Amino acid sequence: MSANFSTRHVKGGVVVALQGEIDLQNSPELRKELLSWLAERRDVVVDLQGVAYIDSSGIASLVEAYQTARHQGGRFRLAAVSPAALRVLKLARLDEVFVIRETVEQALKGD
Amino acid sequence: MSDSAPRRRSDSYHRQLDLIAEMSHEFATTRDLHGTFQRGLKRVADFIEAEAASLFLVDDSSGELVCQACVGPVDIIGLRLAPGQGVVGRVVEQNVATIVKDARADPHFGALVDAKTGFVTRSILCAPLSVRGQRLGAIELINKTDGGLFHPGDRQLLRALGASAALAVVNARLNKAMVDQERMARELELAAGIQRAMLPPEMPDDFPIHGINHPAHEVSGDFFDVLKLADGRIAFAIGDVSGKGFNASLLMTKTCSLFRCLAKSERRPGRLLSVINAELCETASAGGMFVTMAAGVFDPVSGSVLLANAGHEPPLLLQDGIFTSFAAAVPPLGIAVDMVPPDMTETWIGLAGGCLYLFTDGLTEARCQDALLGAEGVRRLLSEAAGLPPRERLAAVVDRLAPPGSSPRDDLTLLMVEDRRERPCLAVRFEATPECLCDLRHRVAAAVRSAGCGPEAAADIVLAVDEACQNIIRHGYGGKGEVVLEIRKNAAGVLEVQLIDFAPAVDLAKIKSRCLDDIRPGGLGTHFIRAVMDNVAFLPPPVGAGNFLKMTKAIR
Repeated sequence: MSANFSTRHVKGGVVVALQGEIDLQNSPELRKELLSWLAERRDVVVDLQGVAYIDSSGIASLVEAYQTARHQGGRFRLAAVSPAALRVLKLARLDEVFVIRETVEQALKGD
Repeated sequence: MSDSAPRRRSDSYHRQLDLIAEMSHEFATTRDLHGTFQRGLKRVADFIEAEAASLFLVDDSSGELVCQACVGPVDIIGLRLAPGQGVVGRVVEQNVATIVKDARADPHFGALVDAKTGFVTRSILCAPLSVRGQRLGAIELINKTDGGLFHPGDRQLLRALGASAALAVVNARLNKAMVDQERMARELELAAGIQRAMLPPEMPDDFPIHGINHPAHEVSGDFFDVLKLADGRIAFAIGDVSGKGFNASLLMTKTCSLFRCLAKSERRPGRLLSVINAELCETASAGGMFVTMAAGVFDPVSGSVLLANAGHEPPLLLQDGIFTSFAAAVPPLGIAVDMVPPDMTETWIGLAGGCLYLFTDGLTEARCQDALLGAEGVRRLLSEAAGLPPRERLAAVVDRLAPPGSSPRDDLTLLMVEDRRERPCLAVRFEATPECLCDLRHRVAAAVRSAGCGPEAAADIVLAVDEACQNIIRHGYGGKGEVVLEIRKNAAGVLEVQLIDFAPAVDLAKIKSRCLDDIRPGGLGTHFIRAVMDNVAFLPPPVGAGNFLKMTKAIR
């Protein structure tokens, strides 16, 4: 299966937009992608609007990226979280941990 | 004066007839053949006026002539003559009544008895005992008391008496054979009773395993057994001893006893067959007999069977109208010790609401409308009977092959193991890999939605199954591996999800939901499962499997 995400460059960082089902098969690629941008000290916004399903391995990739960003003082935010993704984030009580914004634009803004 | 000689002759003739009639009657009705011979011999000797008389019968096993009765000064009862020896031997061989006027001049005369006893044999009258050419023996008279010679009239009389004595011998032998046969029949009936008692008792209708055995003869070379184990599982077996009749049934009894005894402690059917094989090879390998046998353990909770098959007809699983057969992994038992190793292949079968049928070749080789039934025919009969309750189903199949009152050509034995739980709305066996999970999630979603799940509950169950499969892939197998998934809605409207894998048993102490305040990437799966399902438990795995996870969620 091809990667379930696409990356676009914006001013000051990258937006990684996830699509469809994020699971054990494709989450390792997602993890690599996120960590590689963070390694380049880019700010990363993950667009979760198109997520129909995400499992614990997908969530784990997001957590690892979040921790890496925090460690190096970078920025890692989630945006436009779909109901399916939000439900799983809530199950893990991570909705209170991640910085989550309604839209990608809001996530890209300062504060 | 001219009248007196014919009158005497006529008088003697009537007395002869009387004697023949009396003796014939006695020979025909006697229950004590030797007593009758002894008394008859005495009367004949008296009548013909002979010094001594004896009766010899051919010993069937050696062909020797053995003296059974005698009268006269010398007791020769038990005397044995080689075939053809002496005048008696010649008479028996030639089957002709003979008068020897001067015994000492006859080349056949053996003076053995005379030499030993001082008795002097002068003349001999000897007549054969034979029926329809079957030579049974002879009666011999020695020496007229008046010193005269035996005459043709004496010979005729003795021939007539010999004929009726021969009939008496044949009658007595038939009688004895009949008595022996009756005793055999009684013993056979007792043996059949013991065999029937070895079959398990009839089980209640809701019991998952039922069997039927219809022997072709009094005793059977087939067997089946069902044994409830202490942990709620059920051991079962079916077998067929090569050949028919008594020796086959004795070996069947032995095999059946071994199974019953060993199944109480040995849970692995492969090891069990291996032990029985070793035992049969060691003690019962007489005459090239062997036993085809399939043994299994049924777990009613998971609806699964672990099966081992040694040369037996492949059992058939009938599931939603589709048959799957399970071929033998090793040759029959009792041929060679090393052919059935303890680690012989066992087959794990998830019945998933289906029914496993085991049967002997009496079914496949039965004739139905003049044609061999064959494996296809067995499948047809099983399909046709599928809607019936368990015991009626078995009876319906067997009745088609051996209508009540008739005897089948071979023993018919049929055993069924049925998953009595609700039919699953999804039953899949697959090799779990990261790549297969997407398709699996869609199948689970479709199945639970059609079982009446709302979208949220369906998403929960999909997540739980996905996470559980991930755990199996990542922590159980450390890679890909086989998983059996069944989802069913029980009578209370609760969805039950069961996952069985064959990985090493998990350490339950290590499975715990992580503390959510500890933010780290791993360990969320188990937490998700517990969060979305009502109940999650690792149950004792079925025999042959590694882990058995059962999760439930009420959907109403």
